[in-house]
Amino acid sequence: MLRYLSKSLLFVLPTIIGVSFVIFSAVRLIPGDPAAAIAGEHATPALVAQIRKDMGLDQPLFTQYFRFMAGAVRGDLGRSPRTGLPVSEEILRRLPRTLTLATASLVLATVLGVLAGIVSASRPYSFFDNASMVAALVGVSMPVFWLGLMLMMLFAILIPRWLGLGAPLLPPTGAGSWKHLVMPAVTLAANSMAIIARMTRSSMLEVIRLDYIRTARAKGLAERAVVYRHALKNALIPVITVLGLQFGTLMGGAVLTETVFAWPGLGRLLVDSISYRDYPMVQGVVLVVATGFILANLAVDVIYALIDPRIRYH
Amino acid sequence: MGNRRVRGLLLALAVVFLVVAVVAGCAPKTPAPAPTTPAQPPAPPPPPKPKVLTIASGTDIERLDPHLSTASPTFSVLSHIFETLFFMSPTGEVKPELAETFKVEPEGNVYTITLRKGVKFSDGTPFDSHAVKVNLERVLNVENKAAYRSLINTVTDIRIIDSHTIQLVTERPFGPMLSHLSHSGLAIISPKALAEGPDYLARNPVGTGPFVLKEWKQGESVTLAKRADYWRTPAALDEVVFKVVKEDGARLIEVESGTSDIAVRVPPSEVERLQKNPNLVIDRTVGLRTIYVYFNVTKPPFDDVRVRQAFNYAVDKDAIVNHLLLGAARVSDAPIAPAVFGYAQQTAYKRNVEKAKALLQEAGYGSGLKVTFHHPTGRYVQDARIADAIRAQLAEVGVTLELVTMEWPLYLEAIRKPLAENQVSMALLGWGCVTMDADYALYDLFHSAQWAPSFNLGFYKNERVDRLLHDARNTADTTKRLAYYREAQQLLWADAPWLFLHSEVQLTALRKDVKGFMVHPTERLMAHSADK
Repeated sequence: MLRYLSKSLLFVLPTIIGVSFVIFSAVRLIPGDPAAAIAGEHATPALVAQIRKDMGLDQPLFTQYFRFMAGAVRGDLGRSPRTGLPVSEEILRRLPRTLTLATASLVLATVLGVLAGIVSASRPYSFFDNASMVAALVGVSMPVFWLGLMLMMLFAILIPRWLGLGAPLLPPTGAGSWKHLVMPAVTLAANSMAIIARMTRSSMLEVIRLDYIRTARAKGLAERAVVYRHALKNALIPVITVLGLQFGTLMGGAVLTETVFAWPGLGRLLVDSISYRDYPMVQGVVLVVATGFILANLAVDVIYALIDPRIRYH
Repeated sequence: MGNRRVRGLLLALAVVFLVVAVVAGCAPKTPAPAPTTPAQPPAPPPPPKPKVLTIASGTDIERLDPHLSTASPTFSVLSHIFETLFFMSPTGEVKPELAETFKVEPEGNVYTITLRKGVKFSDGTPFDSHAVKVNLERVLNVENKAAYRSLINTVTDIRIIDSHTIQLVTERPFGPMLSHLSHSGLAIISPKALAEGPDYLARNPVGTGPFVLKEWKQGESVTLAKRADYWRTPAALDEVVFKVVKEDGARLIEVESGTSDIAVRVPPSEVERLQKNPNLVIDRTVGLRTIYVYFNVTKPPFDDVRVRQAFNYAVDKDAIVNHLLLGAARVSDAPIAPAVFGYAQQTAYKRNVEKAKALLQEAGYGSGLKVTFHHPTGRYVQDARIADAIRAQLAEVGVTLELVTMEWPLYLEAIRKPLAENQVSMALLGWGCVTMDADYALYDLFHSAQWAPSFNLGFYKNERVDRLLHDARNTADTTKRLAYYREAQQLLWADAPWLFLHSEVQLTALRKDVKGFMVHPTERLMAHSADK
């Protein structure tokens, strides 16, 4: 196990360095002059030139990269030319917000999704199976902003009106308390939940048809033990892969949900920074999200090994 | 073995929950209620609930330093913290604010300004001549990258006469001086804070205004707290919160549910529905931003005035305003909006397909004309759809427009190329005349000294117009200035270097109980004397 773990860890560092270089170059490939974007639409050419010089954009690309990496290693991701504040400070302020939202919605999606998948698979083509798979189809295809706005209307305007309350049941936007978290988490979970439910169902159906399950049943094990102890564990491998990917996606990809609910997370920070061509901020956010993604994948590898000893020994 | 695997799985789950717990612990918490003790003295009456006005705004501020800021959402917030020497009223009159009086000396290029006494910055520093001098000098220094340096770059000397009198000396008499000094980009910062340097200023806005910064959570909200020692009557509100809600629908739910008191940028399609809501009022303020299509007048076909006029006749501005913008705009009848000083109304080009065709025929394009048309998307209200409407309407007079749609930063770069490299024939653009003085729009957009990469992007040049704009800028005599601008606008209107479109109207939804709130034509939201 230790060897497996150290081998996995060994790949993490070069991956992060590789990613950092790709990010750095990619950011510079975004068309549009960052200095002009920051200077504002009424800016004089002299002002734009001064900002370009201050951002170090007149330096060769490699000089710029080494300066960025030298800082990044020490935890200094530079200063946002737009706000004049350190990038790392802003990312650290938003990271917990994004992690809270991503984790809450992933837990919600996993618990409900896996349960729905198991029940569906153990009674294939039953009413519950059909109903939950239709629900999953709706969940996958529903646009996030629409679901978000509907929830908002329901809990902030309609239900309080029907109940004659003076204030909204749940605050429509913003962050700060658990009440703020409910609607964004449900909205964000809808899609992942559907994917996880469908994945669990098909994977379970496949496993349940295998010989060892027939053997388990033949030796007289209770159905519950067959499903949960024998089938589920083998069926979970692809589900965990999806989970890891979903977590990475949720870290940086919750942009729509974050925008609808004005949830101040990393995704929105990234989109805003791209539109302002705020290079240091874009680099910083992508680096952090990519590292998160890599670590989530590492966690998936570890969980594989915990669940399936065959992986550990190979 | 099986048990161990189950344990492993449980361990993994435990880790996930631990992460949730830790992360949830990082989020700000509301303090737990204190345990009640039995023998407590009777509680004093609860203090009155603080009056908080919450504004659901569409955009976060850029930064806290007014000299380096560029956009109106930033100035909306900062104008509560900082003040300027003069204040531009919503009807375009310049009124003293931190200044008390001003006088133009007989030589015409010396402005003597007496300053208000007894004003203090929120850090206790007194406001005086020294404060004004260091602020203007900071803006004038190119290295400081002040965004609105060009507003006062005609100033050659700043003289302190006494503790509360200051003189500004310009190269020549400079007509728009006072309106320029009313711009929020020239707000006065505490000299003590200035001395601390840019890092300090990026976090600590110290001004003379009725509010101070309580907290800025980037991308989330800015909270301002009232100053009890404000030099005028302190604000009635205890706090003003600018909450960043980007999504239109969410902003409306905020104000409809009463979570916010005000929502900006109401989509025109929602106005009818919101007007039926007894708790809401819709404010309509004609802004200063004029939307237009400029022509590159140095190249065919737009080097011919008849083609430019034909385009103006071919496009139905009323239809764009009524159907695409649902009435939330005003058809242009001058190159600048009505609130701007110097505005002179002209007769709008009404749609006349026959006349347009005849003009094109005369210019030698009777058999048709093909032109590329650059436009941004997502920058102005319905910009891409407006461009498409223009394309459809010009098709009716035999003009084929090929649309080139671009994202804003890229667009700005493409259209601001100097003449030799400039490939643009016609392009959609907007200009907010934020100083509310015609000089800022007409001189910057039509004077031949301002050719791209400055903002005369169509390379327009008319010697008479140049002369008039130059004279209007270089005199302090208001009557003369108005006359110059009137003539210049008549010439521009006939010369049609633009396809004149419309000025945007700002739609703001307010809860009924909000009083005294002002939506300024400069797009600034002013809660200074608001109450609820």
